[in-house]
Amino acid sequence: MSLRTVLTRVYTFSAAHRLHSRHLDEGANRQVYDKCNNLYGHGHDYTLEVSVAGNPHPLTGFVLPLRDLDQAVHKILARLDYRYLDKEVEYFTSVISTGENIIGYLWDELQRQLPPNMLYHLKLWETNNNYFEIGKEL
Amino acid sequence: MKNITISKKFEFSASHRYWRDEWCEEENRRYFGNSTGPYGHGHNYELHVTVLGNIDPKTGMIINLTELKKYVNDVLESFDHKFLNLDTPYFKDKQPTTENLALVLFDLIAKKLKTLQGIALYKLRLYEKRDLYVDVWQDKS
Repeated sequence: MSLRTVLTRVYTFSAAHRLHSRHLDEGANRQVYDKCNNLYGHGHDYTLEVSVAGNPHPLTGFVLPLRDLDQAVHKILARLDYRYLDKEVEYFTSVISTGENIIGYLWDELQRQLPPNMLYHLKLWETNNNYFEIGKEL
Repeated sequence: MKNITISKKFEFSASHRYWRDEWCEEENRRYFGNSTGPYGHGHNYELHVTVLGNIDPKTGMIINLTELKKYVNDVLESFDHKFLNLDTPYFKDKQPTTENLALVLFDLIAKKLKTLQGIALYKLRLYEKRDLYVDVWQDKS
C-alpha cells in the first residue's frame, strides 16, 4: 500500500447566468428552472476547489508548483469571471449554464491546461448550500 | 457492515521556509517566491484526522476522542510553535511544503495509533490556509 497525496487549492469567480432551455416553451422553462429562469438572469459567487494528485517532487516538495496551478486555473476562470455566461462565454451560448455543465466545462478545460494525469477532482460551489463534484474516483 | 469513520480537528502554528542550498538566491526566489525569506514565515495549520475502525459494542465508539486527542497532540507537540526547518528533524533533505508536512504527520500519527487495536488512521487533511489544503490517505490498490 502506498500513500496518496492530493493538493487542493480554492478559487472564486463571480458570474451571471440564466437557466433556460430552447427545447422547452416559456411555461415549461418557468416550471423546470423556477427563479433561475428569471428573464434578465441572476448571479453567484462561485467557489471552485481544484485538486491535483501526484507525489511531491523530491527537490521542491510540491505535487505541482502553486504558481503553475494558479496560472492554469486563472486562465480558464478569467473567461467566466464577471461575465454573463449564456451570452459572453461561447461554450454556454449553446449549453445550459447549470452547475453540472459548468463543472464539466471546467474539467475539460483544466485537463488541457494541466500536466497529463494531474487533475484529480473538482468541487464547484454555486451557493453555500449546493455544490457539484467531478473526479477520478467518483 | 458499513465502514464508519470519525474525524477530529486540530490546530497548530508553525513557521517554515522553502529554500534549496544548491540554488542561488535569485533562483530560489524565482521558484518559491515570498516563501524563501531567510527567517521563515508562519501559518495556523488545521489538521483533520480521520480514523477508521469498528464500533466497540461496549462503548458505541470507534475510538474515544479523548484518547485520539492525546495521541495526536503527542505528535503535534513537536510541531506547534516551532520553525519546521530547524526545530524538527524531518525537513533536512526535503522542503516543508504542505504536501511533505502532511506525509510526515501521516506517518507519525499512523505509528501512534498502531498501538490501539482495531483502529487505523484513514486520512489526514492539512490546511495551510483556508484556500490551500492537502489530503493524504492509504491507497488500497
